[in-house]
Amino acid sequence: MRNCFRNSQDSDLFNNTERLHIPGDTGSLHQFEMSDFHNRSQTNARRSDYVWQYEYYDDEEPVSFEGLKAHRYSIVIGFWVGLAVFVIFMFFVLTLLTKTGAPHQENPDSAEKRHRPGSCLVDIGSPQDESDKAFSRPLLAESRTYFHFYINEEDQGKQKPEEERDGKHSGARAQRGGRGVGSSGVDEMEEEVEEATGHKPINGLMEESNTDRECAFFSHFNIPNFVNLEHSSTLGDDDLLYEPSAILERQSHSHDAHCDIH
Amino acid sequence: MSTTTVNQTDCPEVKVPLPLFFTIGVVSLAENLLVVVSVLLNRNLHSPMFCFICSLAAFNTMASLTKTWETLMIVFANVGQLEKKGSSEMNLDDVMDSLLCMSFVGSISSFLAIAVDRYITIFHALRYHNIMTMRRTKTILGVIWITCGVSAVLMVRFFQSKFIMICFVAFFVVSLAMICFLYFYMFMLARIHARKIAALPSSSGGKFGRQRWRGSSMRGALTLTILFGAFVVCWTPFFLHLILLMVCPMNPYCECYRSLFQLHVVLMVSHAAIDPAIYAFRSAELRHTFRKMLLCSDWKQRS
Repeated sequence: MRNCFRNSQDSDLFNNTERLHIPGDTGSLHQFEMSDFHNRSQTNARRSDYVWQYEYYDDEEPVSFEGLKAHRYSIVIGFWVGLAVFVIFMFFVLTLLTKTGAPHQENPDSAEKRHRPGSCLVDIGSPQDESDKAFSRPLLAESRTYFHFYINEEDQGKQKPEEERDGKHSGARAQRGGRGVGSSGVDEMEEEVEEATGHKPINGLMEESNTDRECAFFSHFNIPNFVNLEHSSTLGDDDLLYEPSAILERQSHSHDAHCDIH
Repeated sequence: MSTTTVNQTDCPEVKVPLPLFFTIGVVSLAENLLVVVSVLLNRNLHSPMFCFICSLAAFNTMASLTKTWETLMIVFANVGQLEKKGSSEMNLDDVMDSLLCMSFVGSISSFLAIAVDRYITIFHALRYHNIMTMRRTKTILGVIWITCGVSAVLMVRFFQSKFIMICFVAFFVVSLAMICFLYFYMFMLARIHARKIAALPSSSGGKFGRQRWRGSSMRGALTLTILFGAFVVCWTPFFLHLILLMVCPMNPYCECYRSLFQLHVVLMVSHAAIDPAIYAFRSAELRHTFRKMLLCSDWKQRS
């Protein structure tokens, strides 16, 4: 790495007349010169270079170390302490953020229990085989409904058939490409969430984060589930089918206010 | 004439032993080369996300290769095989420095690309496959590589100019700010999402679910801290060095900071070594491909 960054840069910046380009990237060269200067007995071998080095030294040595009030490595110490404080502070802020959400669970828990229809609870509690059949029809029906809704509302200059094709293709492609996406795009943060909560997908994320007209049909689109498909392979498809109905129920009750669809 | 300067260099340059450079370089080279080869071989990994990870690994490979080669050349020069001031050596030094610059700028660009890609994955999941097609990914990667190559050559040719250094530092600061913003925004959203999921009474039931939610969010916080913290800790010292070079070339305090230059370069190269652990090895598919490659069992079937 260029020691020019260290050495001749200094001379360049404040003394343009004598630019000494120290070649090579060894600090050893510079070190040798410094010790040369200190121990004149060693200069015999480099007598021809000595003057040159001396001039170079002259260029560099206006930096005076006399009369330093603080410790000479104070910038170094200050920088590293500041960096450590920053990283630890960031970690504590993040963990505090994770903790502050928890106390609010009490009221919504009881409230949602009342609002939630019994069928949803029953469906969730049922074994996988039953849930497959129980969920498949509502999934398809609802997803198609919201699919068309998405198509109708999406007014970005695309035509409807094209939109449908896009949607279906992206749905199909999501299946194939979702492995790649799932295994990487959501890795670092979602993976932890997924592991803990049984691959509840980014549906929830979509509802929270996107604009009103998007949040309705995001939750019914299977891409987020496909995104998690790789991780959920061990659990099978029950999560895939379970989630949309839960989201459906929540959609009907809690998100109409948020989503100004019409 | 400053004879009084004999004992004035109170901050001699801190030398990093060459074997350390060599070791870190070789380890980093091996890891990143593995990542690149795995992504190229496994067709399941031909997605935009893995393309960016592969690009990052390629830049890190270039950095570690160049640094290792440079270390070897220094060893030869110290032994006496090479002439330190020869013209061919200086040209070679220029080439190596531009490659290093290119890989550093490319690494930062790849981090930015990965963060943007993850952002789009989370916030625009529905349209992700329309926004981030393979063609667009390849275009972006091509632009990144060409820009890095050109800027590296310019940086090394005109390194005396303050403007170039200001550009370099500004690029780093802007990238850092964007990465920070993107990841924190994604984390906030993941937290809200996880809280909602934990709020579902059916999902995990009562306080047990809340504990699991807290545990998973804690892990998310730890992951984000490691990712962002490693980036900041490894890259900021070098850029502070550049800033101090421009701002206070005469100040003794700054001089003492600048004497640690080789340590800062070691930090940057070691970041290239830990990058695979932070980005690439998080993916189960990639780990699976590694195992298959290293055990040499039916990896030919994948290609």
